[in-house]
Formats: sequence, structure tokens, C-alpha cells
Amino acid sequence: MFQAVLVSPQLPQWGLKFFIPAVGAMMALAAALAVAYFVRMYGVAFLGRPRSQAALVANETDRWSLAAMALLALLCLLSGIFPGLLIDALAPVTTQLTSAHMPSQTSEILQSLVPISESRSSYNGLLVFIFISLSAAAAAFAIHRLATRSLRRGPAWDCGYPDPSPMTQYTAASFGQPIRRVFGTTVFRASEHVDMPSPGQTRPAVYEARIHDVIWETLYLPIAWTVEVLSKLLNKAQFLSIRSFLSLVFFALILLLLGLAIWP
Amino acid sequence: MALILDIATQGAQMMLVLALAPLLTGFVRKIKARLLLRQGPPLLQPYRDLLRLVRKEVVLADNASWLFRTAPYLIFAATWVAASLVPTFAAGLMFSWAADLIAITALLGSVRFFLALAGMEIGTSFGGIDSSREAMFATLAEPAMIMMVFTVALLAGSTQLSTFSTYMASSDVGLRVSLALALVALIIVAIAENARIPVDNPATHLELTMVHEAMVLEYSGRHLAVIELAAQLKLLLYASLIACLFIPWGLAKPEANAGDLAIGAVTYLAKLTALGLMLGIFETAIAKMRVFRVADFLGIALMLGLLGTLLLFVSRSL
Repeated sequence: MFQAVLVSPQLPQWGLKFFIPAVGAMMALAAALAVAYFVRMYGVAFLGRPRSQAALVANETDRWSLAAMALLALLCLLSGIFPGLLIDALAPVTTQLTSAHMPSQTSEILQSLVPISESRSSYNGLLVFIFISLSAAAAAFAIHRLATRSLRRGPAWDCGYPDPSPMTQYTAASFGQPIRRVFGTTVFRASEHVDMPSPGQTRPAVYEARIHDVIWETLYLPIAWTVEVLSKLLNKAQFLSIRSFLSLVFFALILLLLGLAIWP
Repeated sequence: MALILDIATQGAQMMLVLALAPLLTGFVRKIKARLLLRQGPPLLQPYRDLLRLVRKEVVLADNASWLFRTAPYLIFAATWVAASLVPTFAAGLMFSWAADLIAITALLGSVRFFLALAGMEIGTSFGGIDSSREAMFATLAEPAMIMMVFTVALLAGSTQLSTFSTYMASSDVGLRVSLALALVALIIVAIAENARIPVDNPATHLELTMVHEAMVLEYSGRHLAVIELAAQLKLLLYASLIACLFIPWGLAKPEANAGDLAIGAVTYLAKLTALGLMLGIFETAIAKMRVFRVADFLGIALMLGLLGTLLLFVSRSL
């Protein structure tokens, strides 16, 4: 996908030319936000100390459910290691949609992914995977064999303040706060309000964050508002007396006939 | 025979980055200490630290899962592979065709993913605060890095580091505005990614300032040693990246003989020394900035990268 940005100066349209680098940056931003999102979701849901009583007594699910998830994870891994096979399998779809497709990838030795030509770029998922697993295994082996493998379990370091309550952990909202501060103030017009009691007061501190969905508010809310007003007006027409109904029908008929007469 | 030689060169490259990484960190520390008129730790101190940590027993928190114990090795392996993909003394190594600059960026992104997960694992506030900050920095640093990659790749017509450094060493490059912008962007990203001073202070353990340090706060013994080595490798990776992209002279060509390789190795060491010296001076001269200022700092890198790419879109000669 990023390679597509690099050949885009060959595009004839100037508007597209200026637009495409920004799209590339947006894709990278999306990738980084996806990392943040998955860390936040996995970290808050599965890591740390149990945050509720239900989480404390939770049991692992049965083997079949685990196997299904493991199968999906394996498929993800395989499609990363052998991207060429996947791209070739998707070629009919891209041909139908865009009447063009990537060059066939399976002929490449050792499953190298070559989007355009070898001198531009190539990516060999299998080789990278092999090297990562080999170096991880080598590091683990060397350290465990040559150094020590002793291990002691103890409580986590508490900085001198033992905090038995799992409430002190990071939550999803607190994890997202830095990103919200950076992007949210402009994109979502987010605002924060902290109400800190002065010393001696016993009321709790209150922290409030307001987020506006700009697209929702400018695009959809006016439509919803108009529909609501119209339906309220129409609702009145449902409860008219028989006289008013008859006159309404009469006037509507005249209006329609007038329209028909004027219509060329 | 040629294949064996290729594999040997590639292996030498992998071992070289591993061996040099602690030395570079020690060198920067020494420079900083000398600039402050201190004696400073000896150059070999990082090696001794690693050795000491490796020999020590691991103290693991009660609720640490398998993820916490495997993450250091994954982090180390991905960083090591990424660092050995960057040409150090020779271009066109056998393995360098396996992945390009975008893949290296992606490898470093996955390293960050595991580090942030490890920070969340134990459930202390420190790990959480720094995982969230790291995620925030990543959302700005990764687009900036990709824009920098676009700038250099548009010029060279390739995202392959070997092709690019060969192109840069040739005479038809000249002085270009876009390359200067890309260099500044890369330096800013490198400083932020390596948690160097204006962004983060690698020497302190103050919870208000630290970003990288607190994610690894719960690690000890061999796990900490592996993570420290990975951080040192990352510093070396960015230094090698700057060296091979913007000062590629002396880099051995793909079809080089032993003499060229030796010249490449010597110039590589000289480049690292120069970059380490500059980093030390820069860090001594500047103060740490507030966490939410980092967004502006990295935003500059993003804008410079975008500007560089746009300049190239407008005209190939800029």
C-alpha cells in the first residue's frame, strides 16, 4: 500500500498528487492508533490485577473455544509469513473491482513479496520470521545456558505505597488520555474539567472529560432535528376533528389540482 | 563459495551490531560526563552492567504471566533483526533484501507494542502511565517516520536501504532541500524513539519524567538485561540509519572485496563516533521538555517529512 504512494507522482491529476502523501501519513497514523487501541483493549481486559470480583473468579474457557481462536491467530500469522499466496488468492477480486491486479507472486523464490520490482522493494515474511524466531531462541538459550535461570516470585514494586486496591491501576480512559489530549482537542473538541476540593473538604474530587463528535453534530444532528420537528407537526394532524379533516382534505385537493393545472 | 561468504558477511553484521550497541551507549554517557567535567563511567561499563544483570536472579511479580516473561526476548529479537537489516559497513547484504525501510519501521512498531503490553501487565500505575505515553508518542512518531521514508524513497525510487545508500553515494544527488528536511525529521524521530533528553531522560527514575524507564520498571535480572540491550541496539539502529542514509560514503558496494569491507568498517566506526559525539553535545545543551510538548516536537518532524515529500511531488530537482 505504501508502495502505491511512491509511484503516485506519475499520476496526471495535481489534486491527487498533493492529497496522496497526506493519505500515506494518515495510514501510518492509523497503524499507530491501532497499536494503541490493541494495547489498551488487551491490556485493560486481560493484563494487570483483576479489576472486579467477576474477573477475580474467572475461569479459562474450554478447549474448543481456545482452539478456534488459536486457529484464527495461526491464519493471521501465516498470511503475514506467506503474503504472496494471499495476494494471489485475492487477485480475482481486485481484477473485478479495479480491473487491475498485482503481479503474480508465487513464482518468487522463498515467498518474497515484490509489489513492483526487485529494485524498488521486496519483503520476505518467511525469512524475517525465521530470523526473529532464531534470534529470540538463541538469546533465550544463551542466557539460560550460560547465565542463570533462577527466578523468584514476589510482590510488584510499590514505590513505598502498598496499594492493595486494583482501583489504582490504569483504566481504558486513563490509557487513552494522552492521545485524547493531543488529538482530541482539535478533532473532537474535547475538554477536561477537574474539580479538586480544597484541603479540609471531604467531598471527592471530580474529573470530567467532554468529547464532541464533530461529524455527528454537524451532519447528522441537524437532519435528526428536522425530522423530529416535521414529525411533531404531522403528529398534530393525526388528532384533528372531523370538520378540520374534511377541510384539510379539501384544501389539499385544491392545492394538488392547482399544481396539476399549472404544471406544463 | 559466494553464498558462504555472503552468509559470513551477514553474520558478521549481526554480531557487529550486537557487540557495538553497548559501546555506543557507553560512549555517549562518557561524552556527556566529560562535558559536565565529570570523569564518567568507563566505556565498557554497559557491558559490565549487562553481565551483572544476566547473572542475577529474576524477581518476578506474583501476577506476571507468560507474556511478561516472553516479551523481553521478542523485543530483543525484533530489534536485533531490524538493526541487522540496516547496512552498517556494507550495502547489499544477502539478508537486506528480505525487508525494506517500511518493514524496519513495522518491526520497531511491534517492539513498541510488546513493550507497552509488558508495561500494562503487572498493573502498577507506572507501567500504565508510560504505556499510554508511549502509545501517544507512537501516533506521532510513526507517521513522521513514514513521511521521512517517502521523501528518501521518492528520490531513490526504492525503499531498499542498500539501493538508497548506493544512490546517495553516487554523484547525481547534489544538495537538496527535501533531503535536509528528511534528515531533520529523522533526527527528531530518532531522539524521541530512543528516549533521549528533550523527550525523556535515560538517566533518571523520576516518575514525572520517565517514559521508557517505567515500562520496564518491573523487570529485573536477565529480562532487564535483554531489554537494556534491545534499547542500546535501537540507538545503534537509528545511528546506523542516519549514517547509511545521509552519510553513506565509505559504505562497501554489493560486489566488494575484503579491502572495501575493511574501509567500510573503519568509516562506519568513525561515523558512529561522530554521531555519538553530536548526540552527547546536543543532550548536554538542551533541557527536558514537558510530556505534552513532545507532541509539538514530533509534530515538527511530521510537518518536515510531509513538506519534503510534497516538494518532491512538485519537482524532482528540489
